[in-house]
Amino acid sequence: MQPFLINSSYSNVIDDFQQQEVLINKLKHRFKTYGYRQIKIPAFEYYDMYASINGIVNTDDMVKVMVPKGKVLVLRPDVTIPITQVMVNHPTTQNDRYFYIMDIFRYHDQANQVNERTQAGIEHFGKKSATTDAEVIALAIHTLQDMGFIDFKMEIGHAGLFKALISLAGLSKQELIHLQNFIQSKNIAELEPYLNSLEIDDPLKELIRNIPFLYGLPGDVINAIQKYGLQENMQAELQHLIDVYDILKAYQLTDYIIFNLGLINDMDYYSDIIFQGFIEFIGEPVVMGGRYDQLGKQFGASIPAIGFAYDLQLLERALQRHELLATPTTISDIIVYYHPSMQKKALTDTLHLRKCGYVVLSFPDQENSLTTSACTIHYQKDSCTLINKGNSYQFHDITEVQELLVMQEGEV
Amino acid sequence: MEAFTLAVAKGRTANQTIHLMKKIGIIFNNFTSSSRKLVFYNSDKTIRLLFVKAVDVPTYVERGAADVGIVGKDNVLESEADVYDILDLRIGQCTFAIAGKPGENLNKEKPITIATKYPTITHNYFSKKGKAIHIVKLNGSVELAPLIGLADAIVDIVETGNTLKENGLVVLEEVEPISTRLIINKASFAIKSTSIQPFIEKLRLGLEE
Repeated sequence: MQPFLINSSYSNVIDDFQQQEVLINKLKHRFKTYGYRQIKIPAFEYYDMYASINGIVNTDDMVKVMVPKGKVLVLRPDVTIPITQVMVNHPTTQNDRYFYIMDIFRYHDQANQVNERTQAGIEHFGKKSATTDAEVIALAIHTLQDMGFIDFKMEIGHAGLFKALISLAGLSKQELIHLQNFIQSKNIAELEPYLNSLEIDDPLKELIRNIPFLYGLPGDVINAIQKYGLQENMQAELQHLIDVYDILKAYQLTDYIIFNLGLINDMDYYSDIIFQGFIEFIGEPVVMGGRYDQLGKQFGASIPAIGFAYDLQLLERALQRHELLATPTTISDIIVYYHPSMQKKALTDTLHLRKCGYVVLSFPDQENSLTTSACTIHYQKDSCTLINKGNSYQFHDITEVQELLVMQEGEV
Repeated sequence: MEAFTLAVAKGRTANQTIHLMKKIGIIFNNFTSSSRKLVFYNSDKTIRLLFVKAVDVPTYVERGAADVGIVGKDNVLESEADVYDILDLRIGQCTFAIAGKPGENLNKEKPITIATKYPTITHNYFSKKGKAIHIVKLNGSVELAPLIGLADAIVDIVETGNTLKENGLVVLEEVEPISTRLIINKASFAIKSTSIQPFIEKLRLGLEE
């Protein structure tokens, strides 16, 4: 092989793919049981669409392709934005539920490498309500439970609350970015002097200074923020979070919930409740989501919605770390070896077994002795033998084999 | 209490950390500064202490190999690790600075060449200033670069300024103050909050004394 053809991300495509399939099937199944239907959208999108939407995906990070007529396309850098655009031209009924398993493409930092990541997520189109928001969070938790995780937390915050607070301060874009960075990393040591250098009213300054501490058990966080005497509209947003939490109590999921009012999502389209799920030993959130009621307006329509997405590569890392990955399945249930004179009977029987759902490989006379299986069938010139778990049985008709297999499976 | 792992930069930070821990009543019995052991436990085995190379501390914490880390801010900034940078431990205080030969002009029209162990910080600082530069990444003895013409100036941490003085260099511009930080893995902060939060609180109080 020519050395420059080696791509490190191909290292273990075979086993990894099998394990990813198991994972994807679990996710699909759970999404379906909550009434979601799978959709797919094209991999190529118009660059103009992303360039015209304010500050959502950095245009430098997008993978661009020129088509001969001069139009610029991008490889899908995000899923939520194009799905919302599809919904604009699609008469929505309330309660439209879709899920997707799709790849997204972005340039990775300065490394000039295209980063391809698989996202598995859901979008729930419909008016904001505490019951909907709680159910979406419950689904995210339910899927994590399906995968076998025990130690994980879902952090719940509110993008609107934070934006409303910040807008009161009247900061420049540069100042806002600085402030967000300090809050996101809970960097109190630098947040304080930076806040003091800004011209903000003292009570507001005090509140912003304490945002990183608005973290922990929902009751404690709510009590802590009430002290600052919020404005009416913010009070309503806070009440929404409390309502969602009360419903999560009914789902009996409160053990997994933490409030983090300093939570800021880099995707600017979130407008209300936001959440992200952390699994022990994995420093990045494996699932992120929230409500984005304003995004549709960028396409000239009102499409309230909430959604979340799993990063499958991160999930696999978490599964591996917690030893929860599915063990690779053996390739075959039964191997058939036959003498050339018995080819017709052997192949007819193989077909019969496959129709019954068994995974069967067939070879002329032990030609391929590398493949092994607990169960083999041998067609010699004068006899047919089934060898299953060390015991051998003579048979004439394939239905006898079937009966034997069913019987022995019952014993196990 | 749930146990957690603390990664500390080897060398001076390690000694200062052990001292700080002692002050807040956390004792690492077998620790001696000359020991070559890399793993220690405190007396009630609730903290596992790892000694790792300073530049690797943010990586350990970001990837969850350690829940908590103690390391200089220079390494946190350079790694751009996605972690909580939660507490300034007020030890190891020094400054990030641009240094060069006396009278070196940093505002020349054509791009200047900077030698540094910290290419990311250097890049970020100059791009914020809107100034084009060339970066030469070195791993030590950075002060040598301007003397032999490898670079026009250096970006490095300056503590006393003695190394600069002895090599005939001066601070041309201060970038930002540096000190030792407590950093925390974001998942650990959520999941092990019952053991990590009290630890942070103890340290915070210890620092105020």
